[in-house]
Amino acid sequence: MQRKSPITWAHVIATVLTLFTVTPFLAVLVLALSPAYEPTIPVAWPSRFTIDNFIATLSAANFVRWTWNSFVYAGVSVIIILLTAAMAGYAFAKKRFPGRDIIFWSFLATLMVPVQATLIPMFLLVTRMDGVDTMWGLIIPTLANSQAVFLMRQFIRDLPNELFDAAAVDGAGEWRTFWTIVLPLTKPILATLGIFVFLWHWNDFLWPLIIAQSDSMRTLTVGLATLNTESVARAQVMASAFVTVVPCLIIFFALQRHLVSSIAATGIKG
Amino acid sequence: MAGLLFVLPMLVLFVVFRFVPTLGAFGLSLTDYKISGEFEFVGVKNYADFFTSTIARNALATTLLYALIYVPLILLIALASALVLHRIVWGSSFFRGTLFLPYVTSFVLAGIIWLWIFDLQGPLNATLGVINLGPVPFLTGAQPMVLTSLAAVSAWRGFGYSMLILLAGLKSIPGELYESARIDGASVGRQFTDITLPLLRPSLFFVLVIETIGAFQVFDTIYVMTGGGPARASYSLVYYLYDSGFKFFNFGYAAAIGVILFVIVFLISMVQRRVLDREEP
Repeated sequence: MQRKSPITWAHVIATVLTLFTVTPFLAVLVLALSPAYEPTIPVAWPSRFTIDNFIATLSAANFVRWTWNSFVYAGVSVIIILLTAAMAGYAFAKKRFPGRDIIFWSFLATLMVPVQATLIPMFLLVTRMDGVDTMWGLIIPTLANSQAVFLMRQFIRDLPNELFDAAAVDGAGEWRTFWTIVLPLTKPILATLGIFVFLWHWNDFLWPLIIAQSDSMRTLTVGLATLNTESVARAQVMASAFVTVVPCLIIFFALQRHLVSSIAATGIKG
Repeated sequence: MAGLLFVLPMLVLFVVFRFVPTLGAFGLSLTDYKISGEFEFVGVKNYADFFTSTIARNALATTLLYALIYVPLILLIALASALVLHRIVWGSSFFRGTLFLPYVTSFVLAGIIWLWIFDLQGPLNATLGVINLGPVPFLTGAQPMVLTSLAAVSAWRGFGYSMLILLAGLKSIPGELYESARIDGASVGRQFTDITLPLLRPSLFFVLVIETIGAFQVFDTIYVMTGGGPARASYSLVYYLYDSGFKFFNFGYAAAIGVILFVIVFLISMVQRRVLDREEP
């Protein structure tokens, strides 16, 4: 028998691929820590490291405002989508009502329509509702999420019927059954979905770009893109970029296994 | 009837913000719509304009070329990564994580990072300079060069998803197949072409379609990195839609571009369905 080393050629390739994916993030960090307007990578290693760029970024009023907007846009969307998708998923999975299948399949059919294809009518609709440049105009049109409804329905369908029947026998109302049985039992899928919805909205660009038009309404992605075109020092842009990615990195390091296994299991697409 | 009440909030959202805009896109595309809300029915004029406009045809061709570069590139990286991860026992979850990392970031962030990497004075050209090459105008050169650079950025940000789908596909292939192939003396190459590829086909088709559709929707990286340039070298279909709507306020025409995009994406899905249906015995 030949001796088997735990390190194989596959590790060498994986290391090269890791350099490809991780190095850009490290470069952003080095650039962000470099003194502005001084030589830095790739010309020279910075003469010293400074957190001035981060201080400047975090004390800029508009940047703080954009961060807040992104948190509200992502956070409120997560809460409303989880609640409404769980309700819809529960009804599609366990209830009988007229038109159930037609409604469900028409939800799914919207997956075929790219968001860009409906961008103009969506914008004109929100314009008519006076929602342009408002937070609700930004959030509400993005809540109709068929992937969320589909996942909730699949998950709840696999829960045993007896649980719901027992609650009905105990005389629990529909709404109470939902809060005390459906929501607690669907925690794992709610967590997964919550992470994805947060990332989708945090990283969303085209919709905020057209709806959040004034500086104070911008989200981080849009703000970052405008910083990039203005004559802001690169070190400053990179510090802002790094701050932007911090929530994503926290989610990544805390919940990486969760993310990875749920993509493999459900094919959910960010 | 309680069921309907539970569906109601989502149903209202879908009707107002998905169904109405989808029908609205078709309707709008047949009008000349002013921001004031006035509109005039113009029939298929917007479509006629699109197919006779040089800019539109250029945008269509640019998007197609981008897709032709992006799709093989990302599939290659994703497949190679999946195969490598599938082989690794020791440290597999570490590498799965590091390779997946860019997927949690935005295309805007990816664009900002790679704008620096591709810069004429950036690290990539500095490296090439060491071996007396370049500087290479990654984002300012000819169209194939610019589109390849943009495709590389999107692939960097996005390959983690397809990698995981393919990895799940690989894991579902029974190990005994490889064992008996080894006993029969089949080489690693033969095992790959005779076992891995045929059994991975459904996963490969799935990511092929997902990534092709994604290629036709490319916008964020172009907005951040090239603004559609140089000289419209990276002026994609969605960029054209955005410009028509929000720079020139030509809403009817922009809606028509959206409908054309929808038809393209729809046809891609249909072709995939046909191919997959034919393959299932």
